[in-house]
Amino acid sequence: MFTRFEEYAAAAMLGEPDSPPRLDGKLFFSNRWERDVFGLALSLSKAGCFEWEAFRQCLIASIARWEALDCANQPRWDYYERFLEALLSVTESSGTLSRAELERVLAER
Amino acid sequence: MSDIFGFPQDREATSAAKVRALEALLIEKGVIGSDSVDTVLRHFETVAGPFNGARIVARAWVDPAYQQRLIANTPSAIAELDLPAGMAGAEGEHMAAVANDAHVHNLIICTLCSCYPWPVLGLPPYWYKDPVFRARGVREPRAVLREFGVDVPETKEVKVWDSSAQIRWFVIPERPANTDGMSEAELASLVTPESMMGVALVAPPQA
Repeated sequence: MFTRFEEYAAAAMLGEPDSPPRLDGKLFFSNRWERDVFGLALSLSKAGCFEWEAFRQCLIASIARWEALDCANQPRWDYYERFLEALLSVTESSGTLSRAELERVLAER
Repeated sequence: MSDIFGFPQDREATSAAKVRALEALLIEKGVIGSDSVDTVLRHFETVAGPFNGARIVARAWVDPAYQQRLIANTPSAIAELDLPAGMAGAEGEHMAAVANDAHVHNLIICTLCSCYPWPVLGLPPYWYKDPVFRARGVREPRAVLREFGVDVPETKEVKVWDSSAQIRWFVIPERPANTDGMSEAELASLVTPESMMGVALVAPPQA
């Protein structure tokens, strides 16, 4: 039984299509933002903003959307891009941030 | 698909900027603290990784009496090392070690689900829960090991250990050649979680 949220969250994804890349028993991030977005999702769920399972369903849906794109329009596979899309989606649907706030975040790039 | 998602050309920079802005807004609104992200990640970077297992194996390599105690009573021998963190973590309640030697190669699986000694091995690899690995690991372990690149000679016995809610097994792999002059810390750096699952051998140090 996983009593720590971090381990429960990682274990829930084990062996599933939404499981994050890992190497040598550790999470594998190729960029700093990937580490940050993973930590953000865990932190928000740990803080009670949404159920971890709700985030996972958004991630699975985000992966499915990428898979459904036809080859001509399909961008290179990037797990953490799907992860970020899912986080934005669950952040809006859970009411953690409003759509207007999210639009502002996305406009700041 | 929502129109707020898209696929710009400068994808890495765009994603990084979005994450930065998102985190800043969430901190500004007080939804999370300024150190929340680092706190959850520190757990994976310092506790829930194969750090403890590598140290345990290195000690067993340099101290045969310790290896004997580790096999005879794994929790008690682990407690001797006073490992900094993580040993009280989940799935570490009932661990047991088995050692590879000239006559035996050990393989760890979990046929029922995905029981795994997290405090010593860290995050399980994605294939550990795969039903094909679980089924074939018991039925034809030599063939599975060959596919992992480990060719166990016929003269050596292959033992398969099934982790469960009662006992989580891990392997003390064989110490590689040309490591006589290495310190315990240097030896620990050679040990991988795969070698402690029995699906890999420990590679000798790079010349």
